[in-house]
Amino acid sequence: MVRIEHKRALLVVRIGDKKFEWPIETRYWRNPLLGIVCLALLPIVFSGQPDLISLFATANIYACIAIPLGWQMTGIGRLNFGPQFFVGIGGYTAALISVHFGWGPWETLPVAVCAGLVFGVMFSPLTTIAKGLYFSLVTLILPLIFLEVTYYFRVFQGETGLYGITPLVMVDNIKTEYLITGFLSLLMLIIFLFVVHKVLTSRIGLFAAAINDDEEVANNLGLNIKRWKILCFVATSVMISVTGWFAAHYFGTFAGVTYLQLPFMLKILLMVMIGGRGDIYGAIYGAYFVVILEKLLTVFGTVHYILFPLILMILLFTLPEGLYGIYRRHRYREYYPTIRVRKR
Amino acid sequence: MHAIQSVLVYAVVLGSLYLLISLGFSLICGVLGIFNLGYGATFLVAVYGMWMLMDTFGFGVIPAIVGVCVIQCVFTLTVIYYPIVKRYMEKEELLLTSLLLVSLIVEETVNHAYPVTAGVDIPTTILTGTFEIGAVSIPSQLLVVVVFAALITAFFVIFLTKTRIGFKIRAVSQDPEAARLLGVKVEGVYALAMILSVLPPTVCMLVIAPIWAIEPTLGHSLLQTAILVTILGGLGNLRGTVIASFIVGLIASSVAFFTNPRLVGMAILIIVFFVLLFKPQGIAKSETLW
Amino acid sequence: MLLQLKGISKRFGGLIAVNDVSFSIGEGEIVGLIGPNGAGKTTLMNLISGSLKPDAGTIGFNGHTISGEEPHRICRRGISRTYQIPRPFPDMTTLLNVSVGVFCGKKRSHMSLGDAMLDASHCLEFVGLFGKRNMLARDLSLFELRALELARALATTPRLILIDEVMAGLNQAESRRAIRLIRKVVEEYHVTIVWIEHVMKIIMEATQRVEVLHYGEIIASGSPHAVINDSQVVEAYLGEKIA
Repeated sequence: MVRIEHKRALLVVRIGDKKFEWPIETRYWRNPLLGIVCLALLPIVFSGQPDLISLFATANIYACIAIPLGWQMTGIGRLNFGPQFFVGIGGYTAALISVHFGWGPWETLPVAVCAGLVFGVMFSPLTTIAKGLYFSLVTLILPLIFLEVTYYFRVFQGETGLYGITPLVMVDNIKTEYLITGFLSLLMLIIFLFVVHKVLTSRIGLFAAAINDDEEVANNLGLNIKRWKILCFVATSVMISVTGWFAAHYFGTFAGVTYLQLPFMLKILLMVMIGGRGDIYGAIYGAYFVVILEKLLTVFGTVHYILFPLILMILLFTLPEGLYGIYRRHRYREYYPTIRVRKR
Repeated sequence: MHAIQSVLVYAVVLGSLYLLISLGFSLICGVLGIFNLGYGATFLVAVYGMWMLMDTFGFGVIPAIVGVCVIQCVFTLTVIYYPIVKRYMEKEELLLTSLLLVSLIVEETVNHAYPVTAGVDIPTTILTGTFEIGAVSIPSQLLVVVVFAALITAFFVIFLTKTRIGFKIRAVSQDPEAARLLGVKVEGVYALAMILSVLPPTVCMLVIAPIWAIEPTLGHSLLQTAILVTILGGLGNLRGTVIASFIVGLIASSVAFFTNPRLVGMAILIIVFFVLLFKPQGIAKSETLW
Repeated sequence: MLLQLKGISKRFGGLIAVNDVSFSIGEGEIVGLIGPNGAGKTTLMNLISGSLKPDAGTIGFNGHTISGEEPHRICRRGISRTYQIPRPFPDMTTLLNVSVGVFCGKKRSHMSLGDAMLDASHCLEFVGLFGKRNMLARDLSLFELRALELARALATTPRLILIDEVMAGLNQAESRRAIRLIRKVVEEYHVTIVWIEHVMKIIMEATQRVEVLHYGEIIASGSPHAVINDSQVVEAYLGEKIA
């Protein structure tokens, strides 16, 4: 017998003997269900304009990079300046295998995950040995070095990048294809959001907060710092690689110049800052904001390259805590991490 | 034999070049304790400021050099130091993001005003022709680089160790709070350090401009080199930076000669990574400025 | 013997902070560790809890050698510490602060966050901070911070707690509350306590045995009364003339 009860902000479903509780988020702009419904309506509303759907998918992809980053920033206690390195890893793995072996997207996914895993584990010692500042610097440089490597080895096809990657779905109608891929990007966003939300509201999220606030004390309280940092770094790197995989298959081409250089890194950083540091729901707002701003500014012609960082700088000046900061003044007691880059 | 000679000669040349590039960055790291990620903008302002003065305003060479120095100081103080560094000294993530943004804005502005095809030509050649060392011939302008690197390093060392202001700078680099309590104007020292730090890049750019391709994106690779050299040498330690820049110069020239010039960046990163694994402080022995 | 130190030494460059210290602590004792400033008490505490590794000597706890182990392993064996200057997690609420400690308890490391918060509430209630469980740790007063440190240390179900100068900065009433609290802790949780303290009155009242540290060496050891009247101890604190 299924019985559904509704108490103030809690939905209780009883199936036979078991009881499932589902808290309804009363803050409407943070309510995931409402947000997902709104987002899901977007491609349907704009189904006639494929470039807007493409924008929608791009925003989702950007948000998918920012969401695991929200976990990583607290979980390792340092600021990672090169998340796009793993986007490059996932994307290039998917692109190379797809172009040279003709594999479809769902076959390259496990390979991209493995590549993310391998490189994540390879670079994870950085989190434990490097002092806070060194970590940020080395991660700043990693994508740039990767870019040089792509220029050197001809298999990456340097500046033009790899093209001809198998698309995600192959349907006859172009419009349906756009719709379906748009919804797939939304699905990826929802999965990432769900996973990271579950992680952050569990004990792993508490450990991440403890590591961020005071590593030494957490160590003395019985928290195995190395294990949790490495776990966080590897898990988030795998997630970001999956985003790279998706980007490669969605756009059909993958070039390091788009993803591995400083402007892209700045976009990611700004998404995270504007959305509210480390807040995963804010990251979605930040992603949409950045993507829409960039599109709007192209109206001005080539000057938009200057205007974009300028506007973002003004925004940073006026809203140092991002959009989340406006909310935070009312709700002081939720966890709001202090991001430390330099630890003397 | 010829290869070894070339490697050594170019190691010295490249080392001096990297030294000029990284000295300012290391100084800021040591004194202010921040990373000036807007350092790439310094190089661009030097080159394109010079070009702007000479081409658009029609200055001569010597007035343009003076003008560029003035522009650099003004730019550093009004754009980088006062609005950004002073405001966000405590909030590091905002600091680094804003500095990167500044660097990007400068790069895009320069790209808009003087795109790559504009043909920037700065006639600051001091020595023309090539110079023969043993079996190696290098452009003589590169020797000027070596000389200037030595001069500027010597200037910095003498300034920091023998003058009173240098003493104050070293005090601030070790403990700003204590220096403040002893009456040192810490804000003034910070501003002075920032001005001092733009001197090597300006000189470097002016000397290297005739023989290098000038394009708006050179800030990135120079910043990358500066970061790697500074990390290797130990953040904020000038002695370590000097040694590290020549080590990196040696690595760069050997990799370039024996394998492929394109692998230089990766080789340097791998070496830095390994050094960090065993000596997280870099190769310098002390945490002080000199 | 619960805790045994044998010949522990630690030097920082040219400064010998702890020099050949040996003592033992039995189960259920409350031992005071006193000494003038700079004697090396906090260094000794850091050595026992694992933040620093000793240069020489061994530390035995409950039959195992723990010198040289990682701090989190030492915590899991049953040693907790508090800090002289309280170091809570500033951005988290009191309840979450203590919950971090709960996860270290033996055989309970896979509990969910909800259960941990329940256990943390018990600890908070014990020290009397339950009413402030949703306040951010950075907003607490000094006494509450000290109580939070104690609650957090208790949440790790320790057998030995190292308490570092809990009375500094507290007024009379707060000191009395603190002593009552620590006595309650000993009664209910049966922990052994090593207590660094400067306030002599507390040492006389609360501890059963005292070790005196001076320039990194143990110069006296015994009951509080005996130690206070020892001429070497008086000389260390007040100088030769008074002794």
